Amino acid sequence: MDTTATAEVDFDVIVAGAGIAGSVTAYRLALQGHSVLLVERGPSPGSKNLSGGVFYCRVMEEAMPGFLLSAPIERRITRNCLSFLSASSFVNLDYADDRLAQSVTAVSVLRAKLDEWLAAQCEEAGVMLMPGVRVDALITEDGRVTGIRAGGDELSAHVVVAADGVNSLLCRQAGVRGPEPLKHLAVGVKSVIGLPRRVIEERFNLSGDNGAAYAIVGDCTKDLGGGGFLYTNLESLSVGVVLRLDDLARSGESSAELHDRFLTHPATESFLRGGELLEYGCHLVAEGGLAMAHDLTRPGLVVVGDAAGLTLNTGFTVRGMDLAAGSALAAAGVVDSALKRGDYSQEALDAYPRELDKIFVGQDMRTFRRAPLFLENPHMYGDYGRLLSDIMYGVYNLDTTPRRHLAAGVGDALKNSPLALLPTVRDALAGVRAL
Amino acid sequence: MKIVVVFKWARNPLDARVSADAAVSWPGVKLAASDDDPAAMEIAVALAAGDEVVGLTIGDGDTAWAAARGAARTVVVTGTPGEADSAATGAALAEAVRRMAGVGAVLIGDSAWDYAVISALAGRLGWPAVAGVTAAACSEQGELRVTRRLGAAIQVLAAAGPVVLAVTASRAEKNVPGMKEVLAARKKPAEKIAAADLLDAAIAYRVQTQGTRFPDTPPARVIDGGDPRTACEQLIAALRVEGVI
Repeated sequence: MDTTATAEVDFDVIVAGAGIAGSVTAYRLALQGHSVLLVERGPSPGSKNLSGGVFYCRVMEEAMPGFLLSAPIERRITRNCLSFLSASSFVNLDYADDRLAQSVTAVSVLRAKLDEWLAAQCEEAGVMLMPGVRVDALITEDGRVTGIRAGGDELSAHVVVAADGVNSLLCRQAGVRGPEPLKHLAVGVKSVIGLPRRVIEERFNLSGDNGAAYAIVGDCTKDLGGGGFLYTNLESLSVGVVLRLDDLARSGESSAELHDRFLTHPATESFLRGGELLEYGCHLVAEGGLAMAHDLTRPGLVVVGDAAGLTLNTGFTVRGMDLAAGSALAAAGVVDSALKRGDYSQEALDAYPRELDKIFVGQDMRTFRRAPLFLENPHMYGDYGRLLSDIMYGVYNLDTTPRRHLAAGVGDALKNSPLALLPTVRDALAGVRAL
Repeated sequence: MKIVVVFKWARNPLDARVSADAAVSWPGVKLAASDDDPAAMEIAVALAAGDEVVGLTIGDGDTAWAAARGAARTVVVTGTPGEADSAATGAALAEAVRRMAGVGAVLIGDSAWDYAVISALAGRLGWPAVAGVTAAACSEQGELRVTRRLGAAIQVLAAAGPVVLAVTASRAEKNVPGMKEVLAARKKPAEKIAAADLLDAAIAYRVQTQGTRFPDTPPARVIDGGDPRTACEQLIAALRVEGVI
């Protein structure tokens, strides 16, 4: 089969989806002088987007130099808190470091603003942006993707880039992936709560544009697989829950009620008090890690970002946007070469997954390949939090009875919990290996 | 007849943020085409009968909206002082129209999003205005016949001279432009005019909002369902009076 296109096309590249992956791919290719169409189903880029909001953004300095200085970032995350929450207590691993303010590897973002800014950079670079267009189907000829169909219209391109998100219909249509099992997917329910800047800085012990990110497990999901999150923006907080779909479906719980329950938990409510609800919504989240990996290319087709299953939850960090940008950089490089050679075959585009494997995207996906399985452990979402709480209670509850060493206290707490020693040690070792 | 169609000149009230104290704010909300804009465009193209249709907007983002629906070119007024200021918006639009020679009619969506702009536009132009327009046609003698809806009544008016027609949509847009039409539209001419060049700096256009409050809850009308036939008749009559059907 000859997959070297010679016919005239409407655009060199059509990118479907103006999120981070799509916009960065389009931007990089336009900088190389290629004609690029960026289509977005929302009325404007970012209008359909809902993100928890921490962007590990170092990769953007390569994708769009000067990103930190010019992009609409909210706060530089200098304080990370892992919180084990029970109904009446919490145990926090709270890490703050001035060095994080210098290195700036993580920032909170509001995607409505960020995606709009990214699209504006694309347009300045020469990308033709077309919002309000939902791509209905890929056009294929002789086994090669040659364009897109939307409404009654067809547009052709040498290469189509699928950046249409976690639920990528284009990937399904191209036979790149099938429906994901529920355990690979979660639903995120999020609120953005407006608060004065000064109040946020007082409540989270922040100054300037420094910010905090909380990852919470336990009672926030009523012991279901998933977790809670709380991120500081400049004048608002992004807060909500992510619930693994298999657990949620089994439990019969309502995701909206679990979200409301988390926001009214005393540990959360104290941060939100007096705030004004600015935004509320839900979004599908990929949680499968490397297990979700699938083909990323077909002749004339490249898949990037969430559509490629590139998300990573390590418990400490929940990543997707940085992997999206990294995949976009890799894809843009390979597509640029393919366009210059006029070769859009499977073999030519397969340089993209190989490139991904060489950079942090593929390597981190492999390094944390065991994380999703480890995080499937139901004890993570209730029993271990309560165990930690009981241990700390024993340490601090000086009720005039004689104190015992910490090891004995841990033993007592274990005896009183449904957890057994050996499986707990096994889980701890598995956690060390997975994370 | 040369026609100007005004599009993307208001923000969708559904996007407004209304606080508990009824204060209204528009964080990040952009001007958008209303449901009435496509109807205005459709009538304009038919009315022009091959003559020039010019799109006029104060919106940003994709300004090729009218061009994709048949306008030959677009005039974009930039930097309108305060998008919420209906008087300034109307004045800037009127001055932009005035600078185009030979305009026979200005068509604008009769949007409930912001009635004041239409009044200010017509007032500044000094042209008659007809609201609630559902159709318009030119007779063989060149007379403009405008159909408008007033509650349950349909009225056909004869209009002479340049006129502002505020069009009310009776259905969703039928022929939404496809990708190729949008791409072609972006190649049509678009002229940008700064609002500062259109507005008289000596005039204070500002509309001052004294305050906002939640609307009174209209009293419910209860129809006795004892006799289903009578109840249905009463319901239909009530819906007609309210202009729902």
